[in-house]
Amino acid sequence: MTIQTGSLQAGSLKTALFASAAILMATAAAAQAADIPIGHLADQSGGTSDVGVPYAQGVSDALAYINAHGGINGTKMAVDSVDYGYQAPRAISQYKKWSSGSDKIVALQGWGTADTEALTGFVSKDEIPAYSGSYSGHLTDPTGKGPHGSKPAPYNFFYGPSYSDALRGMLTWAAEDWKKKGGQGKPKYVHMGANHPFPNAPKEAGEQIAKELGFEVLPPVQFALTPGDYSAQCLTLKEAGANYAYLGNTAGSGISVLKACQTVGAKVQFMGNVWGMDENAAKAAGSAADGVVFPMRTAVTWTGDAPGMKLMKDISKISDPSGNAYRPVHYMAGVCTAYYMKEALEWAGKNGGLSGPNIRKAMYQKKDWVPAGLEGVCIPSTWTETDHRGMTAVNIYRASVKGDTEASVDELVKSGAIKLEKVATEDVPRKPEWLGW
Amino acid sequence: MANVSIIPSGDFKTSYAADTTIFPTKTSRNFAILGVVLLLACPAFLDRYWLSLLIQIGYLGIAALGLNILVGFTGQISIGHSAFFGFGAFASAWLNNSLGVPVALAIPLAGVVTTGVGLIFGVPAARLKGLYLAIATLAAQYILQDFFGRADWFTGGSAGTIAEPLTIFGFAFDTDERYFYVVLVAMVVMYILGTNLMRTRDGRALVAVRDHYLSAEIMGINLTKYRTMSFGISAFYAGIGGALYAHYLQFVSVENFTILFSIQFLGMIIIGGLGSIMGTLMGTAFMVLLPEVMQAATKLVSGTAVDTALNLRENIAFLREMSIGLVIILFLVFEPDGLAHRWKQIKAYWKLYPFSH
Repeated sequence: MTIQTGSLQAGSLKTALFASAAILMATAAAAQAADIPIGHLADQSGGTSDVGVPYAQGVSDALAYINAHGGINGTKMAVDSVDYGYQAPRAISQYKKWSSGSDKIVALQGWGTADTEALTGFVSKDEIPAYSGSYSGHLTDPTGKGPHGSKPAPYNFFYGPSYSDALRGMLTWAAEDWKKKGGQGKPKYVHMGANHPFPNAPKEAGEQIAKELGFEVLPPVQFALTPGDYSAQCLTLKEAGANYAYLGNTAGSGISVLKACQTVGAKVQFMGNVWGMDENAAKAAGSAADGVVFPMRTAVTWTGDAPGMKLMKDISKISDPSGNAYRPVHYMAGVCTAYYMKEALEWAGKNGGLSGPNIRKAMYQKKDWVPAGLEGVCIPSTWTETDHRGMTAVNIYRASVKGDTEASVDELVKSGAIKLEKVATEDVPRKPEWLGW
Repeated sequence: MANVSIIPSGDFKTSYAADTTIFPTKTSRNFAILGVVLLLACPAFLDRYWLSLLIQIGYLGIAALGLNILVGFTGQISIGHSAFFGFGAFASAWLNNSLGVPVALAIPLAGVVTTGVGLIFGVPAARLKGLYLAIATLAAQYILQDFFGRADWFTGGSAGTIAEPLTIFGFAFDTDERYFYVVLVAMVVMYILGTNLMRTRDGRALVAVRDHYLSAEIMGINLTKYRTMSFGISAFYAGIGGALYAHYLQFVSVENFTILFSIQFLGMIIIGGLGSIMGTLMGTAFMVLLPEVMQAATKLVSGTAVDTALNLRENIAFLREMSIGLVIILFLVFEPDGLAHRWKQIKAYWKLYPFSH
């Protein structure tokens, strides 16, 4: 009797197997197209998804917009977006799928520091330009000649100041700020973040310049990439008397720190990284986010006035036909990154074809480069064959949050409850000894 | 587990040796050989997607077999298997990167090193049982995971480390088509070793420890020795699996070897069948293919009326994770003895067809 039911279940198992095989075949067939293959790694569910989602949306919308308006010299891009959950091994196995076979990707839109740095060797071997959401200083040295033992990263590009340069800029600002506020003695600086390549990337560079600028450097404080209770960390800050703290994680966990520190009464000037603050985070953290400074990669925010905002708003309509959505700063950075890739692909297409070395060469063609149509939004950037520090100007903004933040981000920005105000622009010198660090 | 293997009448065994062959019948042996031959031909007509899945089944299957020897055959428990898997991966990469040991040698050496680590963490197993042992292995998981995150010299710290591809006499096994053969050879060897182990005195001793440790002790089996040894063997398999994984992906990072991964290993052997060598492989295949099937299914659903009606959008990715959990629960309810048991019943059904009663 048991054997009989066994056969019945075996039958249904078999049907299920056939059905799944058919499904797999159908999806494989649908993915075929003779366009320019582009790989897009996004974090939509992992430790940095709070900022990974808007950034990836920016990249996707921009690429879709380009496709809808003539593509690259008339050819469309076949963009394969994959959520890799911020797990470097997953990113690498995905990359290996993309980089082998006949439909090898022409360029990669990447994301995190761990995966981008791990992929550096692969992309240079395969000659696939990788545009990352990671601004790790280690990716800025195309030749590997930097004095801090950086590995060559000839095919890595990113749009924005490196994490290290951004921190250098903020610390320079902090040293002035300390004097201006009439602080006595040495200000105390502390690096905060998870034990992960992304927060760790600028740690040594920041601590070194902090010492040079006259800070007392406290031992680093760790907190995880995920939101949690970080009261203990804030008590450490309070007891040690820290004055300036760098938040190395993304906004999601940063909010937890800001709130906890407000609760325990640690009076610290927090300095976020480019991913450490945005309009959504300011809303979520409320008054705890008031006064946090961070580097911004675009010249304006969503409500700003610039010639390039027209194109930006048109791109936004790809995923929001109503045109009402308020886009945080990361969305705009994603669009800029995608447009640098677009223009490089176009140049390469007209000058010898879409090969990796050609696209790389295209990145070196312009000085103070702003993609056409995005004037006044994307900040002029220059890449050279020996230096991939595209931008060294650090635009420091301060989040200003007043009163209740119950309303939507859109309304809060309109009413002025949330404001991102420019504090200073620090021009970090392009020192050769800082290359790749 | 109910044993329903059916031997044709007239097929008598006249010696103990004949009764403990690796394959119970000639047909089963021939089928196994045929299976390997068919797999040898796979790279010729399968694309990279399927090859990568088969490679995954291969190295995970090796590690899962180690866990099955520990859990299914010896009756111990371990929820730290992924840490040993990770240790093997890091050890092999480190042996190659820092000491210049060729990869072909580093992989088995990594297995040996991991055995040592397994024996150390197996020491509590000599005295602990059940839930207490589970907690002790949980400690192994977290101690090793923290070690991976901090030991920069060994693992590259939180940034991970690069593992060179396997090269023999200048021939690099750096594509899926080539690496497939490496994993296939390793898997066949490790599975034959595993099956053979169960035919030896040591293997029978492990089973005796599982079935009734007091009786086993009375018969003269050294419980401490066999419980610890089981941990060592299990770690050896995990180490080999991990090393194969490292040189396949060519990158090892601490974030992979979490407790969740350990639980997945347990899932593989429970679904496949505790105490079954073949079941281990079936369970591994099931756990590797399930997410892919679910991925394809969610891709089909996305953008359709169901998607818009339920307003799923980006949450559709989570649907995949949820369905995997659901399928595993259903499996445990309706198929508690694992795939190996079901496979035996299917075989029996066809053998007796159409007179199954």
